[in-house]
Amino acid sequence: MSDTESSESGAHEHHEHHHDVEGPGYATPQAAIEEAERETVAYVPSLYVGTDVDAPDFLSVVDVNPDSDTYTEVIDRVEMPNKGDELHHFGWNACSSSCHVEGLERRHLVVPGQRSSRLHIIDTKDRENPEIVKVIEPEEVYEYDLSAPHTVHCIPDGEILISMLGNEDGDLPGGFLELNDDFEIEGRWDPPGEIEMNYDFWYQPRHNVMVSSEWAAPKTYYPGFDLEDVEAGKYGHKLHFWDWERGQLQQTVDLGEEGMIPLEVRFLHSPEAAHGYVGAALSSNIFHFYEREKEWFAEKVIDIEPREHEDWDMPVPGLITDLLVSMDDRYLFFSNWLHGDVRMYDVSDPSNPRLADQLWAGGLYGPRHPTGEDDRPVVAGPQMLQLSIDGERLYWTTSLFSTWDNQFYPEEGEKGSVMLKADVNPRKGTMTLDEDFLVDFGEMPNGPARAHEIRWPDGDCTSDVWQ
Amino acid sequence: MTERDGTAAERDGDGDRHRVELRWRGGGTETVRAAAAESVLEAAERADIGLPFGCRTGACATCTGRLLSGKIEHEREPRALKTDSLADGYVLLCIARPKTDCRIEVGTDVHSDLVTNPWK
Repeated sequence: MSDTESSESGAHEHHEHHHDVEGPGYATPQAAIEEAERETVAYVPSLYVGTDVDAPDFLSVVDVNPDSDTYTEVIDRVEMPNKGDELHHFGWNACSSSCHVEGLERRHLVVPGQRSSRLHIIDTKDRENPEIVKVIEPEEVYEYDLSAPHTVHCIPDGEILISMLGNEDGDLPGGFLELNDDFEIEGRWDPPGEIEMNYDFWYQPRHNVMVSSEWAAPKTYYPGFDLEDVEAGKYGHKLHFWDWERGQLQQTVDLGEEGMIPLEVRFLHSPEAAHGYVGAALSSNIFHFYEREKEWFAEKVIDIEPREHEDWDMPVPGLITDLLVSMDDRYLFFSNWLHGDVRMYDVSDPSNPRLADQLWAGGLYGPRHPTGEDDRPVVAGPQMLQLSIDGERLYWTTSLFSTWDNQFYPEEGEKGSVMLKADVNPRKGTMTLDEDFLVDFGEMPNGPARAHEIRWPDGDCTSDVWQ
Repeated sequence: MTERDGTAAERDGDGDRHRVELRWRGGGTETVRAAAAESVLEAAERADIGLPFGCRTGACATCTGRLLSGKIEHEREPRALKTDSLADGYVLLCIARPKTDCRIEVGTDVHSDLVTNPWK
């Protein structure tokens, strides 16, 4: 990996970070790569909202240990106490950014309901049999004039920050809700009204910056996607850069027409890096954002061309719905949910990504039976991604959001999601679909379920930040 | 206020409790009685009938139904419905209170009427 050491991002120029106390996580991204054990279980929010299955959503514990008798099976399901949540994104109470906080453990998952605004706290002390230990009801969240919780990040002092996409009524503006280390609502992190739309966020403490992106008002995206709403300006196209310590908005970068619906934002993992990426779902472009002389810039670096499809009247965008950066900051992976491909780019030079490899599974153009003709069909495209800490195994699920799934891939509600995996060779820059790996969420006791984000107990490439 | 043509009995109702007939597109009907302060969703839940729902505040449209006859009142603005969908009789069952006896089309299929695939 010597080529990344000389990269502009300074991915491996770790500052020696001396810790007087022991906390959760790893001292550096490189330490994570070297010290983390292979993932054996994955946590995956699984849901019934938007189907005729009359049951609560649940958190799946998926066995990803190839030496286990129950490999690729859902070995435990943590049912939510209520129906109607739409579990979506979730996060840990602690990560490597709080590695200096003595006594803190990476043990509790904060699992929000996107539609219900309910926040579930799940204890994973027994990692194969986690249990709900606390529920924050929607009414408590509404008191802060916020709703629709999305991204959950632990923050360096042991507290937890959650991006909230709407106000109490599902309108704009959204904002950020802070929980303390006892999982009580501490209050709003941001002064209300700094931003209108909200979605994902990521912070980089050494640069005193947090970046946030934009989806739309909950009432706009909840019912499904409508091009008229795009034309009416109801969908986002901006990135917001915040003063991380003060919680104040410092700069907004408008990505324009080519940056419609910027969803996931990822900084490089090196705490020294002032580079990151965002995927604009609708316009299907990847933007590289970076700081130069205290100012933030964003440039389009990857453009996915729309494609004709015989059953569709208009050229279909790729719809980039998720992206992530490998722990060594060398590769960028992203998914084209409508086209049906996963791409791997070498980002050793962050402003000039180079396509390394691409694979197809499901979607509109990929094979319907990518893991074998006898296996169940993949009825949607690659969506939420997660990479092993060592960068050698890329996993993904296929559900985006219940109403959007029903619009673009109506079969997914009947057959459920799958989770697939590719073996990655970081030395050669290649991906190979693992045809022996398929987790079938169509085979759940209450009926077929959708599956969304993926997390490992020991941290992963989309939740760990270094201070 | 959303109103559909109905029978005399449906218009009159039964005091402040109204009969609500729930009809699924795939077949099957159930009838529940809704008290004055009760939404259709609450009345169905009390009768152990599962209807789709999400936010319970009229923002998300997961619980969309279509009023076939009778009269309902949304207890607050049905934010997730566009004006033309409201005019077409779509209602949000989490905040819809029957004002007369009603017949309502329910189930997840109804919601898919609201938005179509824009590329098809």
